[in-house]
Amino acid sequence: MSKAILSIVGQDRPGIVAAVSKVLFEQNCNIENVSQTTLQFVFAGIFIVSMPGDLPVESLHKNLNAEMAPLGLEVHITMLEPAADPVLPSQGEAYIITTKGPDRKGLVAGISEVIARFEGNITNLQAVFKGGDNPGDNIMIYEVDVPPRIDQQALNRELKKRANELKLDIDIQHRNIFEAIHRI
Amino acid sequence: MLTQREILSTLEMLKNEHLDVRTVTLGVNLLDCASHDLGKLKKRIHTRISHFAGNLVSACNHIGEKFGIPVVNKRIAVSPIAAVGAAMSSTQLVDVARVLDEVAAEVDVDFIGGFTALVQKGTARGDMALMEAIPHALAETDRVCASVNVASTKAGINMDAVLLMGKAIKQAAHLTAKNDGIACAKLCVFANIPQDIPFMAGAYLGIGEGEAVINVGVSGPGVVRNAVDRALEADPGLDLGQISDLIKKTAYKVTRVGELIGREVADHLNIRFGVVDLSLAPTPNVGDSVGEIFQSLGLLSIGVPGTTAALALINDAVKKGGAFASSRVGGLSGAFIPVSEDLNISEAVRKGHIGLEKLEAITAVCSVGLDMIALPGDTTAETIAAIIADEMSIGVINNKTTATRLIPVPGKKAGDSAYFGGLLGQSTILPVNNGHNPNPFVRRGGLIPAPIQSLTN
Repeated sequence: MSKAILSIVGQDRPGIVAAVSKVLFEQNCNIENVSQTTLQFVFAGIFIVSMPGDLPVESLHKNLNAEMAPLGLEVHITMLEPAADPVLPSQGEAYIITTKGPDRKGLVAGISEVIARFEGNITNLQAVFKGGDNPGDNIMIYEVDVPPRIDQQALNRELKKRANELKLDIDIQHRNIFEAIHRI
Repeated sequence: MLTQREILSTLEMLKNEHLDVRTVTLGVNLLDCASHDLGKLKKRIHTRISHFAGNLVSACNHIGEKFGIPVVNKRIAVSPIAAVGAAMSSTQLVDVARVLDEVAAEVDVDFIGGFTALVQKGTARGDMALMEAIPHALAETDRVCASVNVASTKAGINMDAVLLMGKAIKQAAHLTAKNDGIACAKLCVFANIPQDIPFMAGAYLGIGEGEAVINVGVSGPGVVRNAVDRALEADPGLDLGQISDLIKKTAYKVTRVGELIGREVADHLNIRFGVVDLSLAPTPNVGDSVGEIFQSLGLLSIGVPGTTAALALINDAVKKGGAFASSRVGGLSGAFIPVSEDLNISEAVRKGHIGLEKLEAITAVCSVGLDMIALPGDTTAETIAAIIADEMSIGVINNKTTATRLIPVPGKKAGDSAYFGGLLGQSTILPVNNGHNPNPFVRRGGLIPAPIQSLTN
C-alpha cells in the first residue's frame, strides 16, 4: 500500500467527483481523505488516496487524465512520503486576523510575511478581492495558530504596523470569541 | 473552520453596533475589616481592596485585547458599609467613603459601590449612621456609589427609611447644586435589591457572596436594534412573536460575550466567576440606545401607547436569550430605561412623549425602575419619598426588583435641561404632579406590611 496526493483543478461543473472516484475505484484505490473548494467557478480538490502496491503511479495518472481532460480538468499526482518533520498541531492559541481595505498588490504577501516571521501557521485563509476602494469588497480572514512561546503583543504590534503600511483595517482576535457567540 | 458570515457579523457588532462588555465588577468582602477603631478600619479596607483589585484594570485590558472586545468600565463592589462600619458614626462613615474613593482612584476603577444599608424591616444604628452620611459622602467623593434597600417582598416597605431617603436625596442635591445635583446620580433606593448587580449605582457585594467575585455586565442595545432593523428590512411582515424570537437570539449572542470575558478575567485573576448580568444598558452615544429599539419596533417614540407592551416583549426576550447563553445569570438582567443615560429616551422626555407616570408604569415590566430622572429643584422631600414609595410598591407586590435614582436639580424647573456629563448624560427635567404640596400620607411612617404573596412556605 502506498499513498498519493491527487489534485484536480479546473472549471467547476457537475460530475467531477463522480468521475475521479470512478477511476480510483476501477484502479482499486481507496480515498482516505478529500477536501474541495470552489473559487470563482473554479473547482480545486485534494484527494489522499491509498494505492495497491503493484499499481505504478504513472498508470493511475494516465487513467485519471483520460477521464478528466475531456471535462477540462487538470490532474496532478505525487507520492505521499511520510514527512521527515511534520508540522504538529500547535499547543498554542488560535487567532483570527481579519483585514479590510482597498485592493492593491502585496496585501496577502505583506500580512503573511509577518505571520511567518513569528512562526504562525495559517490553518485557514479566506480572501475575497472584488477590487476597487470599497473596504467591504476586499476582505482577508486568516485563521492562525500561534506557538505558545511567541510574544502575542509583539505579533499584534507588527501586524498593525504592516496593516497601516498597506492601508488596511486590521482586527486580531482569539478564535474563542467567534465560537462563543455563534456556536452553542 | 469559522464561516465568513460568523466572523464578519461579529466584527460588525463590535465596530458599528456598540457591542462591548459594559463593566467587569470585582466584588470584595470587607466584613472582616470591621473595627471599633476608625484608623484600623480604614487601613484594613485600603489593604484589602488594593490586594484584590491591584491587577483588575490590567487584566481586563489584556483580555479585552485578546478578544477584540473592549471592557469599557472596571468597577468594584464591596460589602455593605453599614455592616462593615456598623460601629461608626455618620461623620466617621464619610471618612470611610473617602478611603473607598482613594483606593478606587489608586487602582483606576471608575466607580466603587457598596456604601449600602439594608433596612427593609428596620433601621439599626449603623444603618442610620450610613443613611445620614450619604449626602456628604457622595458630595465629597467622585467614585463612591451608595444604595439603600428600603423594601422587600418578604419584609414590606420601611416607610420611615423611605422618608429619610427623600430627605437625603434633597440634601445631596443641595450639596452639589453647582453640578445639577450630581451626587444623587450615585444613589439608588431599592426594593428587593439583588446581591450581585455589576452595574452602578446599585452594586454591592451581598452577604453570603464569599471573599471575592467577578461579575460582568454586558451591553448591546445597539446590537439588538440593528438586528431588528436588518430583519425588518429583509421581511417587513414580521410579527411580534417572530421579533421576540429574534431579540432572544441576539440577546444570546450578547450574553455569550459577557460570559466568555468574565470567565477569562476571573481565571486570569484567580478569582471566582460570579454572574453575567445580561441587561441591555444604554449610553448617551448615538446608536447605543434602548429607546431606539422601540422605534424600530414601530412606535413613534418610547412613551406612546404600546410602550409597555413593547418593553414587556423586549425584557422577556432578553431574559430568555441570556438565560440560555449562561448558566450564571444574575443582577438585574433585563432592559434598562435610564432617562438621562439614553439619548433617545431623554429626547422623548424633551418632546413630551413620556412623563413620570408612564415611566413608572413601565417599570412594572422591566428590570430597573425610575432611573436617572431629573426633577424640578423645588420638589419637596416628602414628594420624593412618595415617588420612591410608589416605585417600591411595584417591586414588592410583583416580587421583582425596582429602584429609584431621582435627581432634584437645584434651581431648575420642569422643561429646563440638567447636565450630568460622561456616561450619566443629560436630560430635560420632568414635571411632578403636585410636587410642592405636603404629603401627610408619607409622613405617617411605619412599615407597610409584606404582601400575602410573601407567604410562600
